[in-house]
Amino acid sequence: MADEFAKGLGLLTGAGLIWMVLAGWYKTPSFEGAQLTGSPPGELSMLGELAIVFLESMFWLAIFGALLFWVGVPLGRELYAKVEGE
Amino acid sequence: MTDDNSDDTARTDGTGIVPPDDETPTWRERKERTTGLSRLTYEYFERSRREDQDLREESDYVERDVLAFPVWPHELIRNLALTSFFVGMIFFLSATLPPHLGAPANPSQTPAVILPDWYLYWSFGLLKLGPLNPDLAIIGGDKLLADRTYGVLANVVVVGFIAIVPFLNKGSARRPVEQPFWAAIGVMGVVFAVFISALSIKNLVPMDPHLLFDLTFLVPPLAGGMAYAILKTMREGYMYDLNRRYYKLRPPK
Repeated sequence: MADEFAKGLGLLTGAGLIWMVLAGWYKTPSFEGAQLTGSPPGELSMLGELAIVFLESMFWLAIFGALLFWVGVPLGRELYAKVEGE
Repeated sequence: MTDDNSDDTARTDGTGIVPPDDETPTWRERKERTTGLSRLTYEYFERSRREDQDLREESDYVERDVLAFPVWPHELIRNLALTSFFVGMIFFLSATLPPHLGAPANPSQTPAVILPDWYLYWSFGLLKLGPLNPDLAIIGGDKLLADRTYGVLANVVVVGFIAIVPFLNKGSARRPVEQPFWAAIGVMGVVFAVFISALSIKNLVPMDPHLLFDLTFLVPPLAGGMAYAILKTMREGYMYDLNRRYYKLRPPK
């Protein structure tokens, strides 16, 4: 149980850190308005476009990774134990 | 230690077999415990407890002996690892997200929004408890005490309560499950601090201000009650008994 917690926490913090840095680069047009959630600049190189994709995937990895290990895996184990016990 | 248990001489290297009592798990139970961290915690505590016990049973043991791990290498390796991590994180963040340097402040112009620093929002929120203040009026209809005076007195109440707590509870608990009531008091205080801070910026919170005002005083007792119930339930668990057994062997003071 504790191992699953550490895995979920590692995904949440690690992917969240990468998302925060990339969002600070690409989705923070100014420090007066929306930060980390602003709109990315229109003219982007291929590297920039890849970074946007990577940024979005890291955001969802942080959320669904934590959900997977904190909710999904324990739930699956409970269901498996229940099925096996029958 | 030359008396009856001479066949069981104290070994302080931690390899001694723990004599079974009613709380010691059997070898079968130990083998069946497959979860990693709880097993590691158990073995750590059991080994430390055994080392303490062996040292105490030596004839030249005096109470002033400090029973702990040495600073080098155990404590320093751990502390250096933690320090390196946080220093590295500071370097990483300052390199990747350099802070924004705004325009210099203009001392001749009052800013539009005036707020204290975020860690003083709770005190700022105590100034906004107008509906709670008693209306003591004299004949002219003027209030005897202004709302801002009551706000300052509310600060005295909160700070006074925090100052009294160490005299009510000496803090002998090592973890919240050992004293669920006081842990619940702490949870109540933290939740109240969060809500009173939100109340201080109620014009920025997307919620009805009256509802927020009511929640400020209704949610903290609820959260405290939930924490109390959860901690009371956790006391039934296995690790709590194990830790209590370990700490029972500690000197009383």
